[in-house]
Amino acid sequence: MSASILAPLAALAKLETPDIDWAGLSPLLALSVGAVAVLLLGLFRARAVREVLVPALSFAVFVASIGLAIWQWDERGSLVGGALALDPLAMIGTIAVGASGAAAALLSIRSLAAREASHGEFHSLLLVTGAGMVLFLSAQNLVSSFLGLELLSIPLYVLAATELRRRRSLESGMKYLIIGSVGSATLLYGYALIFGATGHLDYEAIATAIREDGLSDDALLLGGIAMALVGLAFKASVAPFHQWTPDVYEGAPTSVTAFMATATKVAVLIAIVRLFDVALPGASGTWGPAVAVLAAIAMIVGNVGALGQGSVKRLLAYSSIAQAGYLLVGVVVATQLGAEAMVFYLLAYVVMSFACFAAVVAVEEETGTDDQQAFDGLGRRRPVVAVSLTLGLLGLAGVPATVGFVGKLRLVEAAFDNGYGWLALFLVIGSMISFAYYLRLVARMWLGGGQDAAVAATTADAAGDGEADRDGDADAALVGGGARAERDPDVATDGGDAVVVGGGRGPSTAVLVPGATDVATAIPDEVVPEPSSRPHVPAILVAAASAIAVVGLGVYPDPLMDTVGAVADALPDLF
Amino acid sequence: MSPTFTAWTVLALPLAGTILLALGGRGWRGVGAGIVGTATIALAFVFSVLTLIGLLDRDAEGGRQIASSLWTYASSGGVEVRMEILVDPLSVIMLLVVTGVSTLIHLYSLAYMRGDEGYPRFFAYLNFFVFSMLLLVLAGNFFLLIAGWAFVGAASYMLISYWYRRTTATAAGIKAFVINVVGDVGLVLGAILLLRHTGTVDFLETFAAAEDTFAGSGSGSEGSLTVALLLLMIGAFAKSAQLPLHTWLADAMEGPTPVSSLIHAATMVTAGVYLIARLNPLMELAPTAQVVGAVIGLLTLLVAGTIGLTQTDLKRVIAYSTMSQIGYMIMAVSAGAYVAGMFHLTTHAFFKAMLFMAAGSLIAAMAGEQSLDRMRGFRKAMPFTYGAFVIGGLALAGVPPFSGFFSKDEILAAMAGEGGWMWILVIGGYLGAFLTAIYTWRMIFRAFWGPPCPEAQELEDGRLYHAPDHRNPATGELEDTHVGFPGPEHHIAERALPMRIAMGGLAVLASVGGLLGIPKVLTPMEDFLLDPVFAERGLHHPSDTIIVVGMVVGTLIAVAGIYVAYVIWGRPAQEGRESTAISSGWQERFPRLHRLFVNKWWFDELIHATIVAPARWLGRFFHDTFDRLVVGAGLVGGTTGTVRGASALVRRMQSGYLRGYSAVLLAGLAAVLVYFLAQS
Repeated sequence: MSASILAPLAALAKLETPDIDWAGLSPLLALSVGAVAVLLLGLFRARAVREVLVPALSFAVFVASIGLAIWQWDERGSLVGGALALDPLAMIGTIAVGASGAAAALLSIRSLAAREASHGEFHSLLLVTGAGMVLFLSAQNLVSSFLGLELLSIPLYVLAATELRRRRSLESGMKYLIIGSVGSATLLYGYALIFGATGHLDYEAIATAIREDGLSDDALLLGGIAMALVGLAFKASVAPFHQWTPDVYEGAPTSVTAFMATATKVAVLIAIVRLFDVALPGASGTWGPAVAVLAAIAMIVGNVGALGQGSVKRLLAYSSIAQAGYLLVGVVVATQLGAEAMVFYLLAYVVMSFACFAAVVAVEEETGTDDQQAFDGLGRRRPVVAVSLTLGLLGLAGVPATVGFVGKLRLVEAAFDNGYGWLALFLVIGSMISFAYYLRLVARMWLGGGQDAAVAATTADAAGDGEADRDGDADAALVGGGARAERDPDVATDGGDAVVVGGGRGPSTAVLVPGATDVATAIPDEVVPEPSSRPHVPAILVAAASAIAVVGLGVYPDPLMDTVGAVADALPDLF
Repeated sequence: MSPTFTAWTVLALPLAGTILLALGGRGWRGVGAGIVGTATIALAFVFSVLTLIGLLDRDAEGGRQIASSLWTYASSGGVEVRMEILVDPLSVIMLLVVTGVSTLIHLYSLAYMRGDEGYPRFFAYLNFFVFSMLLLVLAGNFFLLIAGWAFVGAASYMLISYWYRRTTATAAGIKAFVINVVGDVGLVLGAILLLRHTGTVDFLETFAAAEDTFAGSGSGSEGSLTVALLLLMIGAFAKSAQLPLHTWLADAMEGPTPVSSLIHAATMVTAGVYLIARLNPLMELAPTAQVVGAVIGLLTLLVAGTIGLTQTDLKRVIAYSTMSQIGYMIMAVSAGAYVAGMFHLTTHAFFKAMLFMAAGSLIAAMAGEQSLDRMRGFRKAMPFTYGAFVIGGLALAGVPPFSGFFSKDEILAAMAGEGGWMWILVIGGYLGAFLTAIYTWRMIFRAFWGPPCPEAQELEDGRLYHAPDHRNPATGELEDTHVGFPGPEHHIAERALPMRIAMGGLAVLASVGGLLGIPKVLTPMEDFLLDPVFAERGLHHPSDTIIVVGMVVGTLIAVAGIYVAYVIWGRPAQEGRESTAISSGWQERFPRLHRLFVNKWWFDELIHATIVAPARWLGRFFHDTFDRLVVGAGLVGGTTGTVRGASALVRRMQSGYLRGYSAVLLAGLAAVLVYFLAQS
């Protein structure tokens, strides 16, 4: 009897386990172990432990993962039986994710989200997400890739909804979950088809199979690529698969939004580079133009959509859609230079985004809203925050002497050198349009505040920028007892009385059931962040540090260039 | 310390000062901001001197032109853009002039701007200006040159509009900025044209490639070199206030007086001269550009001189004088008298900066009033300022042994030595010198001689005159004194020690600056500059006869001019006659000429009529016809319309409904799938 119990164990012992390189795996392990430790630490009841020690430990774990990634920088190889890659591309990704996570941990100090989720859970989820991202971006076979995607997605759904008793946060989490599932399903279907066509899960093996079996125009494979592309484009919020982005970014707690906007993009774009430039370079003639068209659509939709936004988080969401389009340019060209330009811009994007989001956190802390009007006269109130946000926005717009300019220059160069001149043109025109909304916010910070609201409203109306849509929203909330107006009632282009029309026109939307106007009963005790009179010092520090990096690396880009130069190692099949 | 290290330090110091002052914001108390600002610039001057010493230590044969690059900023299409400075005698002389004069002017501002609302802001701007100017002169390639060039324009804009509640000041700032940007466009286009032919933005590489690229006969690229240089010279003319892009300089006097002294007399406006001197290897290959530059310089010096005769605003008289003197420099460096041009640049920086400081002292004593019609008899009340004016006036008029005499003479002698068509330049130059002496001394006689005006009387009695209410000197409208000077506190150079030191230092330099280049006897500047910057290029040394004759003629003309001014304004003023009465007598005698001069040759009106008005008319025409009918009516759609419509579409798609989002996602998926399957 004992033998029958021991038999499976004996079989298990005979099983050949893959050789595990613990050192190479250490950044991922640090994040996973850290997640558990933070969760346990969060069980202590003392306030000091939960509000100080937990964020500190979470910050420390993210920093540790960066340190470990730097330690493993020179290693080359694969981990866990070829499931994960150990190369500079993975390490750069880990560093970027770690930096985003550390910054997000700082931003979430004093946030409602962390309190609602009793600190330990919040930070633990943050760390799990980080681990999922590292897994995703170093995955070099289809199974671990999908595993990574799910590991990063599911905690993010929860994180978006951590302010459970705030309607929009909950809504954003639900939307993200449901639409995200569609995206994941599409990706999984695509992976399955690729596996079916090539008979392999490993990226390298897939590449070999495509090359040797002449599969580059196989219908099954191409169908798989198409679905995988859509799934990944969804995660990277590339238009036309972007529609969840503005709603989720706006609704989620800002520190989570910041993490989502930066780290997720890092993970997904590196995963895209790996899949397309390692596994599928043989079919690049087919997917290249498709990705290029998606990139162009993303640039247009993102930049054009950002124009009339009243909420700064929403504005940044649209801007991140456009940025995803810029980033894809580096993938499209399928060269090592393109990948280098992409990774360079990715890192630049992380820094610039944090300059912006940290500033939004700082403003939200004191005003309780991320409305553009809250930024009026910020230059006088909080000069450091205003300068940081200005530099971050100028960087995103691509003004010379910021790191964004250097990054865009490299992307444009990569596109032109490889016959995608038209895409470069889209990039440039997109950037031109983007100045309209970035500079408007900058102008608000430095010039705004002097005029009274009526004048502001008139100018907004005259400029046709539909800033009144937020007013409309607010009105609807007052009049309709919390009825949710359409997100972007396009008031200004319709002319007429912006405020009144905006409030009345939009279909009232609840989470799932249109028409259920009385959300107030669904969530009886809505908890929203209270404005605080104290400045959010960690956020100001993050904003200032990011802003210094934006300018510093914009004037002296060499260190970043050299770092990115190592990326090519990971992409042996490209020239 | 190597010269390149010290040069980089010179560049870094004012930048550090700017950042420090800007970050401090309103946190700065008292004169703290001023002391920090002055200290950084003074330190920069020390490092400039160290750079000079380092350069002198090196071998004169080719060892004194060092390019130092910190890193490569961008490398694209085979063109490397480096963060690179060029340290050679030319840039070091500019370094010394800029940091030296700036130190003194910072010192002067320390007291002059005291009590101004935006004291830290002023010094942050001023340090930023110095940084930009140093970037401009140290730039080792066109990229940094353009950056410095644009920064200087921006700094000038900020400083002219420093008293931002004064409408005339903001208007003047905008005018200066717009005209400067016209120049910037020329500069950028010229640099790109050169880049197309030489394939490099680096100065030394461009010069090395120029001979092969452009000198080849029949290649057609000689013409493009001329075009490129003319475009670059548009930049130089705009920055140096040469015809017809000169109109901003007189308006720029709306800025605080130290600004006029530093930017609009000593440094920024000489950037054009520096640029042409820097590009001398290219200029030598394009004689047409040389002639154009020389003629523009000549016309400017004459036109500005005549206008200076009739202006009554003290600062504007000096401003036109600046324009006129820069005309000499542009004429010199364009015609090939590089050393003489740079020499005049240096001495001019000394005496003109001092004249402005002295003018600031006068204006403070007048409580903000700038009109010569109101000033009178300050000689006894302000002996120190009077002394400064006299030294500056003698130097400016070109009376030996003051510095201006040697430098102006060297320019004209070099051209006379060349002969031929350059005799026109020589004769024009002497005519200009005659005008210079007259308007300079007219100013001095009117302000200082004769019985004292009430303000001067107050000062003599030991009190300082305070205006009952502050009015804009240009328009007479009542001012908001909240923005500072002429606020309740105003300092005159007589009394404040820092201002005395600054003026005294410059007075000494203006007196003995001639030692930098006494022909045949003592020519340290020339020896230093010739190798390797100008080498064998440029005009040859004039013969001894020409030098001696030139000096005699120059002295006679200067003395004659001063005498004429004395006869017209000095003597009657002594006799107690009102200077306004004298002026109106002359105005009646030459009504047309006076109208021409006092209206500044109608250049503002000309520019308005030829550029501003047609542009506005064209704009209105297109707005009314093309825009409304073609674009507005929707035939084309209009860019903004399209964007706005698309924006509306994107936002309408964003319904908030999950089913809508899923539908779009699936539709997109279907489209992508169809594309991919179509490829199989």
